[in-house]
Amino acid sequence: MIEGTLVNLRQRELTDHLRTHAWLNDREVTRFHPTRYAYSLAYEEAHYRLATSSGQTRERASFAIETKEGLHIGNCGLTLQYAESGSAELGIMVGDTSYWNRGYGTDAVRLLVRFGFETMNLHRIALAVYDFNARGIASYRKAGFVDEGRRRQAFYHRGCYGDTVIMSILRDEYDPGAGRGMA
Amino acid sequence: MIEGEIVNLRAPERDDLDRLWTWINDPEVIEHLSMRYPMSREAERAWVEMQTAGPLRFFDVRFAIETKDGAQIGSIAFHRVVAEQRSATLGIMIGDKAHWSRGYGADAIRTLLRFAFDQMNLRRVDLSVDADNARGIACYTKVGFTLEGRLRQARYQRGRYEDLLVMSILRDEFEAAAG
Repeated sequence: MIEGTLVNLRQRELTDHLRTHAWLNDREVTRFHPTRYAYSLAYEEAHYRLATSSGQTRERASFAIETKEGLHIGNCGLTLQYAESGSAELGIMVGDTSYWNRGYGTDAVRLLVRFGFETMNLHRIALAVYDFNARGIASYRKAGFVDEGRRRQAFYHRGCYGDTVIMSILRDEYDPGAGRGMA
Repeated sequence: MIEGEIVNLRAPERDDLDRLWTWINDPEVIEHLSMRYPMSREAERAWVEMQTAGPLRFFDVRFAIETKDGAQIGSIAFHRVVAEQRSATLGIMIGDKAHWSRGYGADAIRTLLRFAFDQMNLRRVDLSVDADNARGIACYTKVGFTLEGRLRQARYQRGRYEDLLVMSILRDEFEAAAG
C-alpha cells in the first residue's frame, strides 16, 4: 500500500474487474481514454485474472486507486518502455466520476511518480493525453509534468481527428516532498 | 515491387539474412537504431524466418530497399499501424554505408509514403529520431516531415541521456510536397 494525501495505491485484485468493467463502458469516462470497443464482463474478468495472478514487475506496475475510506475509484500504472533508458509511460483512469476535479487523480499521479523514481529507479516518466482533456493536462502540470510535444491528428475519436499532447517529468525535476502528503 | 526514383521496395526474402546480420552488428549502422546488443546469426535467422513466413499486409508492412540494379542496401518498415487512426510509425535502415548521404534513404521513404497514402489509405506517418542524428533529421525534413515534439532524455546511449525528436507527415502535406 502506498499512502498519499487523498488516496492510497494498492495492488489490483480480481474483484476490481467489476468496477473497472463499468467504467470502461461509461462513455463519459472513455471520452478521455483510448478504449473504443465494448468489453464483456467475462473479458474483463479474464484480463484481471491474468493480471492479478502474477506479481508486479518493473516492466508493468499497476495499481488500484482507493480513497482513504477504501473505496476503489480508479486504476493507474507505469509501463516500462526501455530498461536501458529508464523510461516509462504513465496511465491513469479515475473511473468514479464523482471524484473528478477534486485532486484525487493528481494525488495518485504524484504517488505513481514517486514510486517510479524512488522504487523503480526510472529516469523519465512520460504520458500522452488528448488535447481536449484540459482537466487531465492541468492535473499533470500540477504534478510536475512538462509539455514537450504535440502529435498532430494522432488520434481519431468520436468522429474526428485530434492532437495528442506529450508530457514528461524527469528524475531531476521530481520534487520528493510532493508525493508525501506535504502539499 | 514498388518502384521509386532510384530505389525499389520489395518483400523481404530469406536470402537477405547475411546482409541484415552483418548490418545490425555494425556499430556505425546501428548507432541511431534501437538495437544495441550483438545479434547471433541464429537469432537473426529466426527473425528473418518470422518476417518472411507470412504475407505483407496492412499491419505488417516491411520492405527490402534495393538499388535499380537489384542490390539490397537496407530495410524500411512500419513498426506500428493503427487502423482507427490510419497512422503508422516508420523505421528505416540503410545498412550499406556506401549508399549513405546520396538520397537513397529519402527516395525509399518517399516511395513508402506514396504507398502508405495511396494504397493503405493512411493519413499520418510519424517517426522518432535521435536529436543528434543530423543526417537523419535532414533527410526527414527534406521529405517533408514536421518536427512536433522533443522527448527529453528519452534515450540512453554512449554514457548519456539524449533527446528523441518526434516528426510526422500528414497525407495532405505529402501531396502538397509531391506536387
